[in-house]
Amino acid sequence: MLFLYFIFLLSPPGNVKARDVPNDAGGKIEVTWKLSPDDSLLDFYIIFRQTQTEAGWSTPETLMIVKRGLSKITDTDCKDGVKYRYIVRAVKGEEWVDSSPSNIAISSAQWFHKKRASALILLIIIVGLLLFFIQKARKGEELFIRKITGLDAIDEAVGRSTEMGKPLLFTLGLGTIADIPTIAGLSILKRVSKKAAEYETDLIVPCFDPVVYVAAQETVKEGYMEAGRPDLYKEGNVFFLSYDQFGYAAGVDGIMVREKPGAIFLQGYFYAESLILAETGNSIGAIQISGTTAVTQLPFFIAATDYTLIGEEMYAASAYLTKDPLFLATIKGEDWVKILLIAVIVLGIALETIAYFLKIPLLHFLKQFFTII
Amino acid sequence: MKKEVPLIITFISGFLLIVALFIPHEPFGSLQERFNDWYIIVSGFTLILGVDSLLLYHWRKIKTKDKDAPYSIILIITFITVLLWGIYSGVKHGNPFAPASTFLRYFYTYMFVPLQATMFALLAFFIASAAYRAFRARGLNATLLLVSAGLVMLGRVPKGEIVVPFFIAITLILIAIIFVLEAVARVSLYERLLYFALALISLIAIIPLSILLREYLPALADWIMNVPQLGAKRGLFIGIWLGAIAMAIRIILGIERTYLK
Repeated sequence: MLFLYFIFLLSPPGNVKARDVPNDAGGKIEVTWKLSPDDSLLDFYIIFRQTQTEAGWSTPETLMIVKRGLSKITDTDCKDGVKYRYIVRAVKGEEWVDSSPSNIAISSAQWFHKKRASALILLIIIVGLLLFFIQKARKGEELFIRKITGLDAIDEAVGRSTEMGKPLLFTLGLGTIADIPTIAGLSILKRVSKKAAEYETDLIVPCFDPVVYVAAQETVKEGYMEAGRPDLYKEGNVFFLSYDQFGYAAGVDGIMVREKPGAIFLQGYFYAESLILAETGNSIGAIQISGTTAVTQLPFFIAATDYTLIGEEMYAASAYLTKDPLFLATIKGEDWVKILLIAVIVLGIALETIAYFLKIPLLHFLKQFFTII
Repeated sequence: MKKEVPLIITFISGFLLIVALFIPHEPFGSLQERFNDWYIIVSGFTLILGVDSLLLYHWRKIKTKDKDAPYSIILIITFITVLLWGIYSGVKHGNPFAPASTFLRYFYTYMFVPLQATMFALLAFFIASAAYRAFRARGLNATLLLVSAGLVMLGRVPKGEIVVPFFIAITLILIAIIFVLEAVARVSLYERLLYFALALISLIAIIPLSILLREYLPALADWIMNVPQLGAKRGLFIGIWLGAIAMAIRIILGIERTYLK
């Protein structure tokens, strides 16, 4: 009797819908369905796929098995232009019941990611502003950049280290060459190496990433050449240390304790090892200048080092140190984008507040424009 | 040409990757993935350069009889041992990290993982010493940091609201004592009365503040984290990403060339 009870009452999943996944490179169809009313009693669902051929619909092939409670899958094995339809089977022990076939779906690739339209417009505005100020700088307009204490302290740190007769230590963190903070760190390294050459002080650069090691070696060599002292450059002072996070931290800590550098530069992208390095540097009494864009590590650097380049200050380093008008122009453009963003944020707050109190859905347009999912 | 060719490659790669963000259609859709694969291949080769640099660095130290040469000898011996052990286990088990591999058991599980954990554990002590320096109430900013950090910590720990009345009582009694000492040290009657009044207010505030914080501490901690903290963090993020875009444009246009030299 109980067996018959299940046979007659097992309800099928309903409303099976298939659609091409939007904004993708094709080959994907999203299938959704309404859960069977007996979902809590089921073991699982089996999703079948049928392909349309000249002879009609093919025999259903098993696409995947999903646990109960799930009502959405993505078929990632579709051929663009081929017609597909789907059937969802609800299974409980030996019993099962099929849904009606879904609508016909055809996967295709898109040439524009519609949900990124707002990002594209913003990018065009930002790039346009930056190019406008670069053009202005090319015409010879003078640009101002505010004082950045951390960068001003570089010369002081190198000088102090030289007076103490101690080497300098520079670490570029755990970032790869594909990370922008590492490239910003390299421009600071160039300045430090130039100063080190001028003051005839040793510069030690232990590297985490082998590609960064090669770039650091070239940067330091260039710095010594610019200072007119290529003879002082020691190839062995820029070296690869380890590709393991804590192995690297242990290695740099060891160098700090043994070599006792007078100044330590922590410039790049850091993770949990940031405080281990900064506190060891602090314990040996070195003057420390840190800089990172890793927001979670910034408090550690602020607490443990003497000067910290906070986030974007690091990116401004090359502009600040070279005072090149083209570099400064991009900083100026960045500031204008900030003003624009502040205006948009204020406008957004006002519109959302009015929309909330006056219940006007139309006023949510700015929020909807910036919502990228 | 030595500089022009890399600059052209950088421009084309950078431009293509930006375009690929907005065009899901092939060949653009998988461009980033493909570029990442190429990067992994190139970095694999540079690892050989890295190992060469590491061994050469330590070999030089041994050769010049540097004071740290013993460490270099240990490093080179360890390097060769681990390399050979890994190759042997890889050949024997098909993978050096196979469950039956001695390399996995003795080197990775019993040596490498505990050594990593040891370094990571040091963080606890370093956080304590850094927090001590950061939380010293030397000025208004440091005091605000100390108070908000104390509230967040108490608000986030289990049973923090039970501890908070004691915390408030001790803090306010200490503040009252400071005011009383200030009052005793003053000559002017007006100033004395003012400091005594402040001490009295501190003592009276103990009970209402304790009741309020006991009730609303978790909500207050969440508010600090979700409003002022998150607001400041978002400001930082906006600055960082704008800086990154500006830097990326400098690199693509060939203005920033540090990576080339």
